[in-house]
Amino acid sequence: MKMKKAISLILSAAMVLGMASCSPAKQKTEDKAFKPALDTSTSCDIKIAGGYDNFEALETEFERFNAYYPNAKLVYTKIDDYNNMIGTVLNGNDAPDIYFNYSWMYGRDKYKSSIDHAENLADPALKLDLNCIRSNIILKTSDGTLPMVPVFSNTYGMLVNQNLFEKEGLKVPTTYQELVKVCNAFREKGYENPIMGFTKKETTSLFTLTIYPYFFSTIAKDAGAVEKLNSMDASAGEYMRPSLEKIKQFTTDCSVDLKSCDEIKNNYEAVILRFFKGDVPMMTCSGDTVSGTKKRESRSEEFIANSFKYTFVPVPMSDDGAVFADMANLQFSVNKDSKNLKMANEFMRFLITQRELSEMAQNKGLMSPTKDLSFNSMYAAFGKVPESRILSPEVIGVSDDAVVQLRQAGFRVGTGKMTVDEAVASYGKLEQ
Amino acid sequence: MESSKSLKRFIIIFINVVIMTGILVFVVLYSGFKNRDSYRRQIEHFENTTVTMEQVTANYLEGEQRICDVWARYINGKKMTVNEAAEYIRASHVLENTSAHVVLLDSLTGLSTRPKLGTADEYAVSYDRLNLLNDVKWVNEIGKSINITRAYTNPMNGEQSLAFCNKITLIDKESGSEKAAVLLRVIPISELEKKWVFPQTELVNAELSMIDSNGDYILKGYGFKNSSFFEFYKSYNPTDPESSNKLFEKITSSTGSVTMTDSHEQECILAFTPVSATDGWTMLGLVPAKDLNVKSGDRALVAVISTGLLILFLSDLVYVLYFNKRLKIAARRAESANKAKTDFLSTMSHDIRTPMNAIIGLTAIAEKNTADEESTKESLRKISLAGNHLLTLINDILDISKVESGKLKLSPLTFSIVETVENLVNISQPMIKEKNIEFSFHINQIETEYLYTDQLRLNQIYINILSNAIKYTEPGGKVSVDLREEKSDVPGCVRLTYVVSDTGIGMTPEFMENMYKPFSRQVDSRVNSIQGTGLGLAITKQMVELIGGTIDCQSEQGKGTTFTVVLDITAADRQRDDMQLDPVDVLVVDDDETMLATAADTLSSLGATVEQARGGLEALGMIEHRHQSGRDYNVIIIDWKMPDIDGLETIRRIRSEIETKIPILLVSAYDWSDIEDKAKAAGANGFVSKPLFKSTLYDKINALIGKESASVEPEDDYSDLKGLNILVAEDNDINWEIISAMLSMFGITTERAENGRICVDMMKAAEKGSYALIFMDVQMPEMNGLDATRAIRKLEDPWASSIPIVAMTADAFSENVMACLDAGMNGHIAKPVDIKLVIKEIRRIKEDRV
Repeated sequence: MKMKKAISLILSAAMVLGMASCSPAKQKTEDKAFKPALDTSTSCDIKIAGGYDNFEALETEFERFNAYYPNAKLVYTKIDDYNNMIGTVLNGNDAPDIYFNYSWMYGRDKYKSSIDHAENLADPALKLDLNCIRSNIILKTSDGTLPMVPVFSNTYGMLVNQNLFEKEGLKVPTTYQELVKVCNAFREKGYENPIMGFTKKETTSLFTLTIYPYFFSTIAKDAGAVEKLNSMDASAGEYMRPSLEKIKQFTTDCSVDLKSCDEIKNNYEAVILRFFKGDVPMMTCSGDTVSGTKKRESRSEEFIANSFKYTFVPVPMSDDGAVFADMANLQFSVNKDSKNLKMANEFMRFLITQRELSEMAQNKGLMSPTKDLSFNSMYAAFGKVPESRILSPEVIGVSDDAVVQLRQAGFRVGTGKMTVDEAVASYGKLEQ
Repeated sequence: MESSKSLKRFIIIFINVVIMTGILVFVVLYSGFKNRDSYRRQIEHFENTTVTMEQVTANYLEGEQRICDVWARYINGKKMTVNEAAEYIRASHVLENTSAHVVLLDSLTGLSTRPKLGTADEYAVSYDRLNLLNDVKWVNEIGKSINITRAYTNPMNGEQSLAFCNKITLIDKESGSEKAAVLLRVIPISELEKKWVFPQTELVNAELSMIDSNGDYILKGYGFKNSSFFEFYKSYNPTDPESSNKLFEKITSSTGSVTMTDSHEQECILAFTPVSATDGWTMLGLVPAKDLNVKSGDRALVAVISTGLLILFLSDLVYVLYFNKRLKIAARRAESANKAKTDFLSTMSHDIRTPMNAIIGLTAIAEKNTADEESTKESLRKISLAGNHLLTLINDILDISKVESGKLKLSPLTFSIVETVENLVNISQPMIKEKNIEFSFHINQIETEYLYTDQLRLNQIYINILSNAIKYTEPGGKVSVDLREEKSDVPGCVRLTYVVSDTGIGMTPEFMENMYKPFSRQVDSRVNSIQGTGLGLAITKQMVELIGGTIDCQSEQGKGTTFTVVLDITAADRQRDDMQLDPVDVLVVDDDETMLATAADTLSSLGATVEQARGGLEALGMIEHRHQSGRDYNVIIIDWKMPDIDGLETIRRIRSEIETKIPILLVSAYDWSDIEDKAKAAGANGFVSKPLFKSTLYDKINALIGKESASVEPEDDYSDLKGLNILVAEDNDINWEIISAMLSMFGITTERAENGRICVDMMKAAEKGSYALIFMDVQMPEMNGLDATRAIRKLEDPWASSIPIVAMTADAFSENVMACLDAGMNGHIAKPVDIKLVIKEIRRIKEDRV
């Protein structure tokens, strides 16, 4: 009898505690749920303009928005020569309500219109949940306004064939030493190309993808170096030396077969299809390329025949571990002259949340700009990189021109067209 | 049996359900067929509309292309520079929202007819970054086909546009050489969209697209996704490459429609038709299948029919079930009635056989003992009793027959209540004696002796109740009757309250609810042997109600029953004259205080001086005392049964010890025939039955003290009947003999007619007044009684045709009585005949004739 009483008391207490602990969590969830602020019967077309041929992920997202506003209609329009035309489009009869924007346009007269037409999304009245986005990629203008928010992010890394790692009993490397060991181990096990990448052009070549994050880690805390690099000072070439030497070392240590890599015709589909052949344990690529993998699974006869698990991880070029180069991929701006400004803002309020951004990024196959990357297992490894090793080129402030010099130098050294010394000496003079 | 019924019910329900299901299936199939037919026609209609749209579009495109062609030919013909060409078009181009571009193919730059957005004079246009004119193989020679670009962003104003193109040749002003160029007539898509919608309102959700031979959109409706229709199809309609390629070939080369799933995963109809005058373009129409497949009306029809059938089925089912229930109840009732009648017949058979056994047995005994007069007399007496019992049974059946047909009629006449009560007591005595029941009968305030009602029915009521009490009281039990006269609310009436209490088996409340229904008898192991028809109470209640009285019953099982009948009965005009005795001293001896008190009251009201003694010994003392003082009582009335010494012993002692000749009346509530001899031997001068009525005492005392009473017995005087001659139509010799003998006892002479025919003939031949009436048997040879009556009623002689005819027949049921009356008879007497009833009927007829 006493026992029964004791058990019932314990159960009651547990129930009370359970209820007490559950209630705030539930409250929190309810608080985060989207609540329409406008008349849900509002009927309008929300025009979104961008450079993508089509944007199914956005359409899917808008359909989720339609659950609240069934009469709002998304009209996505691809603008030819987007970067050059968007200014004209914004001034024309077909001006969109929301449009793609890029933070590299800041301060450039050519793109002034694209920035000037943008509403300040940092305005608290808009109630955007900007806190859910990694601060590295929320880039405000010099006057503190926020004309655009990232909806996708990008980074560089490598696709990993998990089945091969499991089959050979190897672990995905997290340091440079491990990377070298894994490459050697695969070589020993008869894999001709433990690691591959696109090497035909300098754009997102294997060399850029591997060295780019490493390079930023070497100059991140050196404001003088950034200044020199941006000024195209020839002496700034020295700042590239460690990275260029690392390229040489990497191609040697990891037995990168440039001839084989050269057979990959482009940095997107060809890279994916080569990886899907299933004999390459690691394939360097950008997040943009990763976004195309899902669709192409059905186009690869080898993958259809022998599918495997794969994921995207940072390339560990340093003994301390990998660097996560965090870059905004696509940003949205709201046309402040929009005829449907309220609904455009309402859609942005709906979209800029941990959940919706993660959903849309997953549908697109790109990395989410949100702090929590666990939503999509493909990019989860990047979420485990310590904050100290997450670097944003745009925050560091290296200009595009300087980046182009590094890209050219890396490509030439990597392909053996230049020595490290020559490349260092050529800083500022290397052309695309 | 029950399972067979269930099976039948199940089969009926099953058949109904099958028919309903059949109808519904037919309706659904037919409706489905109509729907499919309608759907097919809708799809055809949609295909036709798409073709129409294609024609409209083709006409429009051709029209626009023709304008472009005209410009191109003119430019080519005039050998113009870029500027001249642009100027020419600008001059001839009037539409506000359209523009034209002249683009040199070597540099992909040129001039626009309208300035760049936001400028007034900047006409330079570049297609360098558009990837639109890098390859112009698709632009055919002028007039050969429609050359239209994909949708692209107009570099001059940022608007999404289409352009109709023609290759032209311009002249380089500086070098004078020819330069290949393209003329673009640019039209904003927003302008096109305004015109490019399906005309029908029912196709409000339909959308159009135009694709090239690769599936890439030239014009793209909202519902079409991806940049290529083929990609769009494959994204939402998984299929193998071979099938999809076949489908795409079909779409781009023929007119028709297919079903596909759109991005909302809803089924759609895709109509397709090649766009004429283009290079492999296809017009696509896409509409949600549900927009074409409108089933709501049919669904409503099916729903209405289903509901209707269901309601019909359920209402029929409910009605049939209700009807079955009613039938079941009726069948149960019939079964129950049948069983009751079977039980009744079984009982009747038993009840008839018992007295019949006595009659036959005693008749045999009497035949053998004809020499022994006493024995023969005793046998005849018992045969008579058994016969009477049989008659009672048959009368009961007749009565209930009358009760059930509502034809029970009263025949009121003047009678003496005293006689009725005496008769009641006399009838009860044998049973009381047999069962050794303690019986008492008290009367109270009976002042009105002669009453006017149906004596027979009153007797029946009183006898039924009393005989029930006796029947259902076990030996040694007690039955008491209380009859009192009270003032009635009805003018001219007295209220008689008749209360019979017994200590019998009593009744259950359940039985009491049905006790007035025919054929019901209380069942009890102690009374299984009790004989009866189960009709008594039913008849009694009906009769009480017919007389206008009430009957009430209080009963407790195992303790006894009390019936109370209250009747308001008309007092007869004729009453006994004022009854006053000469001054006499009367001693009443009885242990019953009530008896003593009522007797004292009655005697006092007659003018007698009354003394009371509560036992024989006390009486002896009082008589002796009076005798010694020389003041003897004039009359002594002594009860038979008393506790110390009984009446007989008391009389004996009076006669032996006191030696007085005072007249002594012995009183008893019991049958004193057994003690008659002993009483006379003991010295009793007369007998009187309880209860002691005023008139009885008056008559008896007067008789004892040697004075003729002035009693009037109107019913016992048969002198009025003497000399009557009655015609009896009777085919049966014995019956004829009986009735003839009986009537002769009353001085009535009879003549016989052996059948109806003879009876009619005798009446025809008879002289007026020859017969007072005719007793007519019904079932006779040659002519039955009914036909004979009808024939007599048709006789010419008024006396003959109006002669009273009374049926005397064994056809005794109510319908037989009615048949007799309908045939023209005046009355009905059932066989076996009760001579009293016969006399009563003769008197009634006689009175009516008078």
